[in-house]
Amino acid sequence: MSIVIGVLEEGLIYAILALGVYITYKILDFPDLSVDGTFPLGAAVTAMLILKEVHPAATLLLAFAAGALAGCVTGVIHVKLKVRDLLSGIIMMTALYSVNLRIAGKANLAIFTKETIFDNGFLDRVVPEGARPFTVTLILLAITLACKLILDLYLNTRSGYLLRAVGDNDVLVTSLAKDKGMVKVVGLAIANGFVALAGCVYCQQKGFFEISTGTGAIVIGLANVIIGTKVGARVFRKLPFIKATTLVILGSLVYRACVAVAIAMGMAASDLKLVTSALFLAILVASSLKGKKVPTYA
Amino acid sequence: MKKNVKMAMAVMAALALVGCSSQKPAETAAGAGGKGDKEGSYTIGIGQFAEHGSLDNCREGFLAGLAEEGIIEGENLTVLYDNAQTDGGTASQIMANFLANDVDMICGIATPIAQSAYSAAKDTDVPVIYTAVTDPVLAELADGDGMPVGEITGTSDKLPVEKQLEMIRKLLPEAAKIGILYSTSEVNSMSAIEEYKAAAPEYGFEIVESGVSSTADIPLATDNLLKKVDCLNNLTDNTVVSVLPMVLDKAGKENIPVFGSEIEQVKIGCLASMGLDYVSLGKKTGQMAAQVLKGEKKASEMKFEVVTEASFYGNTAVAEKLGVTFPEELASSAAGLFDEVVAD
Repeated sequence: MSIVIGVLEEGLIYAILALGVYITYKILDFPDLSVDGTFPLGAAVTAMLILKEVHPAATLLLAFAAGALAGCVTGVIHVKLKVRDLLSGIIMMTALYSVNLRIAGKANLAIFTKETIFDNGFLDRVVPEGARPFTVTLILLAITLACKLILDLYLNTRSGYLLRAVGDNDVLVTSLAKDKGMVKVVGLAIANGFVALAGCVYCQQKGFFEISTGTGAIVIGLANVIIGTKVGARVFRKLPFIKATTLVILGSLVYRACVAVAIAMGMAASDLKLVTSALFLAILVASSLKGKKVPTYA
Repeated sequence: MKKNVKMAMAVMAALALVGCSSQKPAETAAGAGGKGDKEGSYTIGIGQFAEHGSLDNCREGFLAGLAEEGIIEGENLTVLYDNAQTDGGTASQIMANFLANDVDMICGIATPIAQSAYSAAKDTDVPVIYTAVTDPVLAELADGDGMPVGEITGTSDKLPVEKQLEMIRKLLPEAAKIGILYSTSEVNSMSAIEEYKAAAPEYGFEIVESGVSSTADIPLATDNLLKKVDCLNNLTDNTVVSVLPMVLDKAGKENIPVFGSEIEQVKIGCLASMGLDYVSLGKKTGQMAAQVLKGEKKASEMKFEVVTEASFYGNTAVAEKLGVTFPEELASSAAGLFDEVVAD
């Protein structure tokens, strides 16, 4: 039972991150590596704010804003300074390492004794004893679904349509007399906002910020997106009304479940990265066989 | 048809990759033991943050400490061991797995994984024991009085800073500047640096620090630091310790002594150290764990412990090369003198 809850908790947190990666990788067709920096950025901002007695719920918005700001910078580096997409992400990711250390003040910041969205006086009063083990999962589910719905709504606005158009056919956007660079910056901002939000939730659930948490976040995010959109689209091809954002969340849960099974089967945790890459490769190869072109950088 | 063959090959390749990585010591076998064990036998999940000598010694000592109390691995103790390889995400996954295996106790070795353990276990009745946490108060695992914040207690590997400085003064009466390399990602090192800076003037030293963000930065940082200082002093910084032989090599060429912070570092070529013995730190932790397992005390009732005594370790081969002699008072009280440099 605890392993199922573990999978749901971790899976839902990384689902928020995956929604962000989905925007850049699938919609914008932009391999955004700043994620490795914005995920811990969200965590650093959160830990710092909570220690300054800011309300835990408010940190969700502030972390999103911090991530969005970082995403804007990546976008401006790419669009205005004409640096290649991959490189702008790498530059941002590297810079954020120092920024995160500055924000948190040190490499490891604990908030065990503070109230978080998962552990506070209000919940203690409201939640009945029997439901305690599930509170974290339910809160996470609510946050993740809210993110998904907001993103779905946004993608159906005028700005959302432009975002999708830039990834598919940027000439069209230019012909509509819109600045495609600006649309990219907006997309990156929203995407990294979600990623930092995931970092914020991660930090509150674990009770501490640690500078190393971001390492490999992009790989996890990509794996979630690819499992969701490639495998999920195939499994649910009879049910086309299921949105890609839903598939991405499911992808994240499936990915976590795979990792949990690997560990439970007795795999040494130190080999996990190898398993991740193997799974990743298998899915990419399998899905490319459908005849669809895989982006060259994948 | 051709597609199917390709697909099959892809799956096989993936399985092969997974397969070759799944060989592991039998002791990590999952599903073993748990709370259903027969009376008086226990299962402990040990999570270690990184792989290096000091932390390995902690683990060894921990098991030895338990054995002294009659809890012996293989007889009445099942150990599930996993190493997070400095990855925070893996650390929490390890903890979830321990809990799923119904362990009776979790042992976290080094700060980040101790925090993961506490965070995972705080809503369960599984107690957590930690070791090699330099500052449990800063890590919020204990309150200002040293009392645990929950069912978690353990031992701290706080460095004996004053004793180390005193020893350096005795060995190098002329030295003025001590260089310290540390990594900006390790909170333990930051607090150690602060302590060194505060204590150094009393012994007539000035601390010159150099922060790195990864092992790749260390060669340049070392070269730069060696130009400015009379000796180097090494902390328990995991990043720096993992490339210590390279630092020693560079310092050796300049004839600059390097001081260590514990026995393993002296073995591989540091001149000397007033250091902790991580095996005995682990032993103390093991004894605390035994008390909790046997139900004599609850973890939440035990203050975390600090090993206060530091012992002198010296490497005579290095001393000879540098032309330093160990004063009689140190040499006679030494807990260990090594006459060769062991390649690690």
